[in-house]
Amino acid sequence: MTSKDTILEALRANSPAPLERGPLGFTPMTFEDPLAEFRERVVKAAAARCFLLEEGRAASDAVAAIVRRTYPDAKRIASSLPEAAACATFNPDELKDPRSLAGTDIAIVRGAFGVAENGAVWIPRTFRHKALLFIPEALVILLDRTQIVCTMHEAYSREDFDTYDFGSFIAGPSKTADIEQALVIGAHGPRDVSVILL
Amino acid sequence: MSTHSKAAEAFIADSERTAWHNRALWFVREKRDRMARSIPEWEALRDAAAHTKMHTITHLAYYLEMFERNAVANGIHVHWAKDAQEHNETVYRILSEHGARHLIKSKSMLSEECGLTPYLEERGIEAVESDLGERIMQLMHRPPSHIVLPAIHVKREEVGELFERELGTEHGNSDPTYLTHAARKHLREKFLHADAAMTGVNFAVASSGAFTVCTNEGNADMGTSFPKLHIAIMGLEKVIPDYDALALYTRLLARSATGQHSTTYTTHYKRPVEGQEIHVIIVDNGRSRILANPAHLNMLRCLRCGSCMNTCPVYRRSGGYSYSYFIPGPLGINLGMLASPKLYSGNVSACSLCMSCSNVCPVKIDLGEQIYLWRQQLDSLGLANPVKKGIVKVLNTALRNPGMFHFCVRAGRLGEKIAPRGLLYCGANAWGRDRELPKFTSRTFEQIWKEELSSTAAGSPETVPEDSSTNI
Amino acid sequence: MKIGLFIPCFVNAVYPSVGVASYKLLKALGLDVDYPLGQTCCGQPMANGGFEKDAAPLARRMEELFSGYDYVVGPSGSCVAFVKEHYPDILHREAHECLGSRIYEICEFIHDVVRPSELPRAYFPHKVSIHNSCHGQRLLGLASPSELNVPHYSKLRDLLSLVRGAEVFEPSRVDECCGFGGMFSIEEPAVSACMGADKVRDHISTGAEYITGADSSCLMHMEGIIKRQKLPIKTIHIVEILASGL
Repeated sequence: MTSKDTILEALRANSPAPLERGPLGFTPMTFEDPLAEFRERVVKAAAARCFLLEEGRAASDAVAAIVRRTYPDAKRIASSLPEAAACATFNPDELKDPRSLAGTDIAIVRGAFGVAENGAVWIPRTFRHKALLFIPEALVILLDRTQIVCTMHEAYSREDFDTYDFGSFIAGPSKTADIEQALVIGAHGPRDVSVILL
Repeated sequence: MSTHSKAAEAFIADSERTAWHNRALWFVREKRDRMARSIPEWEALRDAAAHTKMHTITHLAYYLEMFERNAVANGIHVHWAKDAQEHNETVYRILSEHGARHLIKSKSMLSEECGLTPYLEERGIEAVESDLGERIMQLMHRPPSHIVLPAIHVKREEVGELFERELGTEHGNSDPTYLTHAARKHLREKFLHADAAMTGVNFAVASSGAFTVCTNEGNADMGTSFPKLHIAIMGLEKVIPDYDALALYTRLLARSATGQHSTTYTTHYKRPVEGQEIHVIIVDNGRSRILANPAHLNMLRCLRCGSCMNTCPVYRRSGGYSYSYFIPGPLGINLGMLASPKLYSGNVSACSLCMSCSNVCPVKIDLGEQIYLWRQQLDSLGLANPVKKGIVKVLNTALRNPGMFHFCVRAGRLGEKIAPRGLLYCGANAWGRDRELPKFTSRTFEQIWKEELSSTAAGSPETVPEDSSTNI
Repeated sequence: MKIGLFIPCFVNAVYPSVGVASYKLLKALGLDVDYPLGQTCCGQPMANGGFEKDAAPLARRMEELFSGYDYVVGPSGSCVAFVKEHYPDILHREAHECLGSRIYEICEFIHDVVRPSELPRAYFPHKVSIHNSCHGQRLLGLASPSELNVPHYSKLRDLLSLVRGAEVFEPSRVDECCGFGGMFSIEEPAVSACMGADKVRDHISTGAEYITGADSSCLMHMEGIIKRQKLPIKTIHIVEILASGL
């Protein structure tokens, strides 16, 4: 008998009477203005920056202006997005080895939607190396401002949610409080995150 | 004295450190409270989370098979391990097949449970912890003292000295930001040179064959970004039915654990990407046995958030190392007893039955109530504290009938009068070490009742006005 | 309605004044109160220490003594909670057949059942800090536990608001355990005493002259620490405040 069979047999033999799933039993919170709530939590809860792109200006120019203003010293800027065309210095998808991304100052990626209750953005992998989200010093996330859900319930109920191969809800920069509960930004991943709402 | 009681006494001897430890963890509890109050449906969310876990636990074989089927269809390799040994062997076999010598790990309690790191090191494999707290503990050659905050008992100055020695940081610099960034630099090298990554699994979503790993540091994400091989290990209770269930747990986990709305990274692995391989190892190691134990079955709901430790007034004042099981606090007391009463019964005394743990638990595990139940079993297991047993014998005699009770009170009164203080407060009097004994009064309530009150009781009884509309 | 007064063992032996105040208070509220003779203990000390089976004879005795009363009322949240929570298991009976269905902690009883709008003679011109004991709080619901997201309430505070002169405070860790815990206090003496000292200090920092609460056992433990360390605060059971002037 394989270990799998042994385990499953033990689970079946020991299982108590099955309990039905049952209804959710509550109505999840909603926000009057999910976008405003999202913007506030991106900054306050997730410790990221949040920008609302001016309307009527070419996205590429506006993104570049924000990136240059926010990260004046950045030299290596990775992106394959058209909105980042005016500021990206290389296309990360052309690199074969993700290790070559070491030394990247900024990566500009696209988020699918934002979650108002926690300030996180869902970023399914639409680029070659998942390291792109974690290795740069700063991460810039472009997000359609109409794509904000209130809670994680709504997030996971989106019809297209399960179409990713790899993805992450990212709430601000990498952080830790492992030394005396003192919050330090920039543990292993990006030290700075900007969400730009298009 | 129990093993916990002895170790706790040693910890408490440093009162300043005890107060500091207590404060640091209370701070986390307060952050958790603020989060709980920010969600109007918090209590209903806990109900739903507990119920959904119970549903899952009573369908474990069904959901595990569903998870495996879907994960395999996604291109993930799934392995099963009956116990710690098979788990370790499986990890080693996969690493060997890939010729991997440098494993970068993110925090996993299962790995601690199975003793994986020493097992791999004996076989010449470098296993580096990448969570900052875990890395600190690894460099100190000590186990974590908390499941979410592994180095919560270590002071910044001690980290400063450790990093100066191990990583060459500046002498005397114990600034947390400076030290964290030094670790960032040190571990970045490890991330880039590892040839295999290991993560735990917070939730395995059966309906999709995906699993999630939650961190704040992004260490699991960095770890799995470069090597070809990713091994994810999970206790079999980590499976959940679907994304509806995942929504419940991602809303509760970080809020309960560290008082954040969410972890920085809630990362979902569903299919290996470009040239990478994902192996998931599903581990039993006693969990199927817990399923057959109706009094303690609820332990299988646990999310490993650590909130029961943060709120536990005993844990906060005795530290993680005062418990003999590798998981401390209310969770560890219970899991230790499920693992081996013989080895870990010394932790069962570490509970004042305040029940705060049961109230903070995001999946409403009756942690305190279960500790009460374990205590009832110690005597029949031959593990009861003999001193306590003696006290109970005396109580049984003194309280069994009122004659004996009042005789004992009289004896106590006399003893209190004639015994010298040195005898009353001798070493055998655990109460008297730090506390004065209460004093017997000249009459018991029963005497006062007989002599004064009973005559007044018979007169003019009135009933409570049923229509009493006054409310206070 | 007939009320049986339940006086726990240690209240009987070392805090009889709490029993007297309980009686006077109920009587002053116009109730028919009786004290069935021959009470000893509810069995909690043994059971919390892991010897629930030794509590069985005491549980049977309690059931017998109080069989003829509509309500059983006692000045100790922890003992009352024990009777409520554990007698059905100990006696292998349905909950509604056990004493637990009729027993009340005295503040709970006055607040929820008697519901007086005033306590005309109660006068206590002092600053008091409420000790929200664990079992009163988390098992009996005398106040909203700090861990839960439920509307805030406090039955003890409501009752104290009827006492003229009393200025009411609560410690910053409003319902942190004082570390008594029955057998815990002698099995884990170092942690227990540390918890007690921390709790007393928290009460002192409110500026109160008295710690008051519905559990004599917690008060006994804290009193032991106060006396040993000669700390500037006293303990008093809440019924002694509510019954002041009687």
